[in-house]
Amino acid sequence: MESAFTYTESELIQGLKAKDQKVFSYLYDRYSPALYGVALKVLNDESNASDCLQEVFMKIWRNIDRYDESKGRLFTWMLNITRNTAIDTLRSKAHKMDQKIQDIGDDVHLYTGNLAVHPSVDHLGLSKVLEKLTKEQRIIIDLAYYKGCTQEEISRVLEIPLGTVKTRMRNAIIQLRNLLKLV
Amino acid sequence: MSATSYISSGLIEAYVSGLASSSEREELELAMAQYPEVAAEYQSCQQDMEQYIIYQSVTPPATLKERLFTQLDTEETARANGTYVDEDAIPETPVRKVLVSSAWRWIAAAAILLLIGSVLLNYNQYTKYNGLQQRFEAMAASNSSIASETNVYRTKLEQAEQNLHIVQDPSMKTVKMPGTKTFPTALATVYWNQTSKEVFVMVNNLPQPTSDKQYQLWAIVNGKPVDMGVFETGTDANLMQKMKSVDNAEMFAVTLEKKGGSPEPTLDQMYVAGKI
Repeated sequence: MESAFTYTESELIQGLKAKDQKVFSYLYDRYSPALYGVALKVLNDESNASDCLQEVFMKIWRNIDRYDESKGRLFTWMLNITRNTAIDTLRSKAHKMDQKIQDIGDDVHLYTGNLAVHPSVDHLGLSKVLEKLTKEQRIIIDLAYYKGCTQEEISRVLEIPLGTVKTRMRNAIIQLRNLLKLV
Repeated sequence: MSATSYISSGLIEAYVSGLASSSEREELELAMAQYPEVAAEYQSCQQDMEQYIIYQSVTPPATLKERLFTQLDTEETARANGTYVDEDAIPETPVRKVLVSSAWRWIAAAAILLLIGSVLLNYNQYTKYNGLQQRFEAMAASNSSIASETNVYRTKLEQAEQNLHIVQDPSMKTVKMPGTKTFPTALATVYWNQTSKEVFVMVNNLPQPTSDKQYQLWAIVNGKPVDMGVFETGTDANLMQKMKSVDNAEMFAVTLEKKGGSPEPTLDQMYVAGKI
């Protein structure tokens, strides 16, 4: 997947900057499952996630001129837009802190049943990774990435000292990366 | 900090997971610019995180792509017609949007400070004003009471001066009236002007009568009592009170009578008497 992306990425960017709708259509087919997965994890609601994804792709279309290749890959840029848009929606819907926890507690396996039929997605890979991560490791990553929780919020939710949040996060991600190598 | 200590600090993982605060993000960005190892480690960690995210891909509803392109077409048509309004700008990092320009924030802060200052000043002035008002009223009251006291003293002084004139008159005759057997401590004095025939009485010591009674002065002329009028006693009474005039008298006496006086003296209530 990586090699294919690096090969086509500059063409993609050029096509998008030229407002080529065919390239945009290709971009949607290629990336919408990953971005929809993020929106769905953040919002935990298919209708809200669909609205969010539509907004995200419109933002990508309108703002492609602001994307700076020297600052990071196109996928990273799109992920950031998706995460920020979804978390803004989450906040504007005035989800409370306990709602965030509830969501995380419930939905870790919720969407593994209808995973995308997509060449880049390895169902077994995800299952293997999730199985080997402890529940706390999964929750700390998901609270930060998908719910946009701050260190203070995570410290309160997981009832761990504020000073150890970063260390726990580091350990969780190191474990995640080790597991990814085994997949 | 060295490159290895940046790598082991947890900053990279915090950044990649979206946990890092804005100051932590700035710190790591500086470190990545300084150390290629840190930048490489970040890239590697970022890609692994993205792999984890990609694992959680879900195919969106099939109708969504159609909806998206309908919106895109509408917007592009509007853009071509010049009627398109740019709705948003994307925040690249999860920094909260600044909703108010900093200039307006400063102006608002300054306005609030001014308001607080003004309220404090007003309160202070109002308190001072109240204090001064109270002091002014107290002084005005004490001033008017001093003025009325002054009037009292002036009147008393004038009376005293008049009394002095009466006594100083060379033709004035003094008749002391000591107490009778019944009231031995009583004492009063009659001043009788031999020229003008005016009569004044001065109370030296007479008990204060009840409110329905008054003292009455009598002159004894040819062995018979003649009414000279009633007079007041007590602190409010003039020291010397003018009575009726009489041409001749052998004796003066004071009896206690009903208020307003009697035509004949009540002899057993005679307090003082004095011969000429």
